Amino acid sequence: MLKFGIEFVPREAYWKIMHYVIQAEKGGFNNLWITDHFNNRNVYATLAAASIYTERITLGPGVTNPFMVNPVLTAQAVATLDEMAPGRVVLGIGAGDRTTLETVGVAMEKPLTAVQESIAIVRGMLNGESVSFQGQVFKTAGAKFLFKTRRIPVYVGAQGPKMLALAGRIGEGVLINACNPKDVELAVQSVKQGINEAGRRQEDVDIAVYTAFSVHQDIKKATKAAVPPVSFIVAGCPPELLQRHGIDVSKAGEIREALKANDWGRAFGAVTPEMISAFSVCGTPAMCIERVAELLKSGITQFVAGSPLGANVREAIRLLSHEILPSFKT
Amino acid sequence: MDYDALAALLDESQCQSLSDKLVDLILTTKNDEKMPSALARRFLHLWQQNRLVTKPGLAVLLEAGVRLEPEKTLTTLSELNLGILESKIKEDLPK
Repeated sequence: MLKFGIEFVPREAYWKIMHYVIQAEKGGFNNLWITDHFNNRNVYATLAAASIYTERITLGPGVTNPFMVNPVLTAQAVATLDEMAPGRVVLGIGAGDRTTLETVGVAMEKPLTAVQESIAIVRGMLNGESVSFQGQVFKTAGAKFLFKTRRIPVYVGAQGPKMLALAGRIGEGVLINACNPKDVELAVQSVKQGINEAGRRQEDVDIAVYTAFSVHQDIKKATKAAVPPVSFIVAGCPPELLQRHGIDVSKAGEIREALKANDWGRAFGAVTPEMISAFSVCGTPAMCIERVAELLKSGITQFVAGSPLGANVREAIRLLSHEILPSFKT
Repeated sequence: MDYDALAALLDESQCQSLSDKLVDLILTTKNDEKMPSALARRFLHLWQQNRLVTKPGLAVLLEAGVRLEPEKTLTTLSELNLGILESKIKEDLPK
């Protein structure tokens, strides 16, 4: 059965995020993902609070990266969280965002290797081993926890074919950063390639599609809320991905320049309906149901509704819980 | 202000709509820093237990509304024809 996840960006006060978290659990969501960005509230403090205010929902960072947080500390954080919410914790880990890392003076070197090595270290630490690891990016010399831990499922955040295949080879799950059926279909093929290479079964990997999502009864309001995240997605898109969706590469360049200049009006004004369709799941509940159903054909096993969710977050969670999820949970 | 006493003045039929409007008001405020931590915990605890529509829940929502968005809270009470609550809160607000 399809699982539903929801993502929150902890840019608001913790008590607001917790209100939404409680609402999401009551509404039947299976997974809670909290983003990890240095300029918002801390992901693990937020998850710790969420673990206290929930009883059933599976939760984890969506996604952290090994460049900002050393994998030993990531293992420590999720292990501690697992003590607070036993059996409900997962770890989402990816390469991170190059621009964000540059802001804090951290270089993104060998992202594929870094993610692979960090997962090996995290797993070793969670297995209670004394981890001595000599990788190309990370090294440890007998790192070991002084408390009891256990294995926690790892989801690899991925967009490119190599990272997607890696997720298929080694992840308990993959978080595919895409919204459009064309992109998701190609991504799932890469994941399956990795699964086959490793001789695993497809049911061993939870294939989650992590979307920019916006729902409202009024399509104009849903679209307006989707414009800011879509502008950032378009600005960071490789040209071949834009071309796949028939989007003018120079338009994306204009948006990028406007965002760099903090000219939000110009950036958001340049976002077209084609961009919204390519890089978000957006519309009325009926339109969102249709898009989720399309995505399901690619073989995904989890749909994650990510930021912005809608013009009004509380109303968006209500629409998701009462109108969208029931269409898929029979 | 005694918010429990204020909530006690509410008729059962008014609780749902007032609770809904106050929750929206609290979640969309920009004055996050005005929420006392103990009040935030009570707000979340009552929400967990589905008790924001009860009298104790409404007492917490009224207090949060007055602390975070006093003018908008008064407008909400006025819109819902809750003049008694509106005037009692007005009396207590600093001039």
